[in-house]
Amino acid sequence: MTSPGLPMPATGVDLVALRPLVVAPIEARFALRPGDRVLVSVGDQVAAGMPIAERLRDAHLVEVDGDLGDARPGDRWSGELPRRPGAHGHGRSASGELLFASGGRSRIATGEHDEPIESPIDGVVADVRPGIGIVVRASGPGLAAVDALGGPSRGTLTIATGPDGELRPGAVDAAASGRVLVVGSRVDAETLTRARAMGVRGIVVAGLAGKERRDYLGSEARQRAALHRLPPFAVLVLDGALRRPIASPVMAVLAALSGREVGIVADPPRLVFEGSATDLPAPDPGWVRARSGPLAGREGRWAGLAGVRRFDAGTHLEAGLVRFDDAAPVPVPLADLERYA
Amino acid sequence: MTSDPRAFFTLDHGAATTSAALVARLAGRWRLLAATSFPATVPVEPVLGLLVDRVAAADPGLAAAVGADRSALDRFARVSARTAPPRRIAVVAASERSVAPLAAAALTTGWRVAATSAERADALAMTALLLDGTVDAVLAGAGEPAGADERPALDQLADLVAAVAERRPELTVVLAGSMAERVARFERSPNRPGEVLLAPAPDAGEPPGLPLRRLLDELRAPIDDGRRAMARAAGSLARVLDRRLELVEVGFSGGLRVRAEPGGADDADVTAAIVDAAGLAGSAADDASIDGIAAWSTVALDRYRLRDRLHELRTAPWGDAAGDGAQLRLAAGRAALGRLLGATPELSGRPSPDLVVAAGGVWAVAPGPAVALALSDVVRRPGASHVTYDHARLLGPLGTIDDGEERRRIVRDLADELLVPLATVVMPQGMRAGRSAGTLLVHGASGTTELDLVPGGLELVDLPPGETAIAEFRFRDAVRLGTRGRHFAVDVAGGLGGLLVDLRDVPLRLPERQDRRRNLLRAWQSALWTGLDG
Repeated sequence: MTSPGLPMPATGVDLVALRPLVVAPIEARFALRPGDRVLVSVGDQVAAGMPIAERLRDAHLVEVDGDLGDARPGDRWSGELPRRPGAHGHGRSASGELLFASGGRSRIATGEHDEPIESPIDGVVADVRPGIGIVVRASGPGLAAVDALGGPSRGTLTIATGPDGELRPGAVDAAASGRVLVVGSRVDAETLTRARAMGVRGIVVAGLAGKERRDYLGSEARQRAALHRLPPFAVLVLDGALRRPIASPVMAVLAALSGREVGIVADPPRLVFEGSATDLPAPDPGWVRARSGPLAGREGRWAGLAGVRRFDAGTHLEAGLVRFDDAAPVPVPLADLERYA
Repeated sequence: MTSDPRAFFTLDHGAATTSAALVARLAGRWRLLAATSFPATVPVEPVLGLLVDRVAAADPGLAAAVGADRSALDRFARVSARTAPPRRIAVVAASERSVAPLAAAALTTGWRVAATSAERADALAMTALLLDGTVDAVLAGAGEPAGADERPALDQLADLVAAVAERRPELTVVLAGSMAERVARFERSPNRPGEVLLAPAPDAGEPPGLPLRRLLDELRAPIDDGRRAMARAAGSLARVLDRRLELVEVGFSGGLRVRAEPGGADDADVTAAIVDAAGLAGSAADDASIDGIAAWSTVALDRYRLRDRLHELRTAPWGDAAGDGAQLRLAAGRAALGRLLGATPELSGRPSPDLVVAAGGVWAVAPGPAVALALSDVVRRPGASHVTYDHARLLGPLGTIDDGEERRRIVRDLADELLVPLATVVMPQGMRAGRSAGTLLVHGASGTTELDLVPGGLELVDLPPGETAIAEFRFRDAVRLGTRGRHFAVDVAGGLGGLLVDLRDVPLRLPERQDRRRNLLRAWQSALWTGLDG
């Protein structure tokens, strides 16, 4: 990352928690369930948008005569399902995943409806374990976040609001289709639902309140329960549940990535992009941000250690001095502060 | 102990907090010179540097005598305990009846437990659970001998687990009870790195379940795990002080409850339970947890707002520790302590200990007297106990010292400094409601204080740390205070909160209405929390 002549911070800044801004390498894990079909092998190159597995949406268990023979648990199985009681003719042909055999009968996970899992990133397949997961080592770095819902997904990164803005449902239209929107400090469930319906591929937001999270996940679960195939959509949460602006070092990276293709992966939660982290603006080592507490979201310049200070409710906490907006330094609990690197 | 025999650092690497202390040998005994705590995301070296700088600034002569300067970071030994990250175990059995004791054994040995049975889940759901990448181990068990409800499903269950073990060679599998007879089914993949362990049934041993719990405890975490080490140190402390001790620790990733009784040949007899669900991280996991915290909260927050605040607490456990954040943290601590007690009923049934040691990050920001009250709110047990706090988080690191003799010697030297006396809590049970239940005479060094004992409230007597007194209780009717009677004389020791006579109901009864409940809790807390209102 580039750091053009930044001033040296005052002493003690190394006692402020360091938060990674852009991290590499990233090993993105895509969870699988028994019955899902793997389409890649270890060592395969994958490109963003390429299907890597098919997920069963109606997985269920069937029993067939015979034990495993040479097959191993986790192997694919194809054959004829037993006829239903009273039915005539042959059983239906099907395929699935061999789970185990017991008492001379094999148990198979199978289903009729599937949907593709597409890799949202370029990379190399590092691990494949049927029924468990696929790991893809991304070729590019990623912006670190604390949580991701839904996904995986990919699209063109677009800054929709300022760092402390809020996207309302009416502001999302078809022009945003295929994009990953950066929406500022917060977003509600109605906006998320509308964004998904409009073909938006992802949302990057500083905070997502618990109520909005529940409402959105409830909506998604209802659609899945109806076996609706949902378009790829992911919500990347940068900070937590409370409202606060996107941190300026994060916003600077997002601004630099605007217009580029990015992928959102959930495990770990990252916004993955192609290219090198060295092309991005480096955070100022003396710049700190109040992550929590009454000053949450405010940023300023580190001015040194303040020792143990008394704060509200008679609590005594290790503190540091921070100069906000060129005003006089104020003591802030060290544990409320963070800096990016 | 140390390459420089004059001093060493202790480091407690918790899930959310790194605590560091500097211990030095002065005048022939080990003394605690400085201690501090920081979020676990802060690197250790600057924290140790801060410690030696503070010692040097406070007493340059002392710092020079023990060699506490920046070069000490390389010279002094580090005695470290590290809390093992949470691990998840899938507990499976043939029937709901048989899965319950297996799950209970795992729950009290620090595992994050997902339990199911062949009665509840089909083979697909059970396979999906065991294949879940977050599952680190499988406990499959049955009674010894297997019950009639278990026998029809045991073979299929064993085949299912064996198939998963083949697909996940790293998975540790524990076969308990008569399930162990089916170990031959696991020989299809003999060179797998994960072990297949045979264990006794959940009701085997004396006391029942102990052998299985020991195995699960050792399987979950290494010997220097912070909580396992703390239990050992608590045993040393009970032996050194020759007192019955109970330690309750609530941290970010779990809770620990230890009962230690002096009298063993080396350390005291120790019974410990580690409960993952008793950590702050479990606070916002489900609605029941939210309700549990709301029930103790002295801050008016609606359910959604409370959920968001707790979510933030899980994401940044050290953040927002002042103001109402401190109160919220203490409410979460009470709820977590309640979960810890709820998971360890066999320990609750024992007599009141002489000494209660509070430990863990959840108590770190509240004033000592408020911590003593929080413990009294939740641990409702008639008797008298001296309540203390492991303020420098020394017990974990000291518990990692292998040599029991050396550990006891250091604990003996540090005993007065590693525990901050919070209060002596006296809690009678069985008083009749009314204007007065009797009188209390406190005979201390500065004279005698007389108090009227009013049922339902808290009486506070100023008794500074280091002072002792005799508290003479004269009740109008017989009450329980260890034993049943009307007249009691109790030796009490001072603390930051002095003598706390808790005349509230045992168990505690609180108003159903949230606002009344909150006001009552706040009134009690205000009496012991200086500066709470600004």
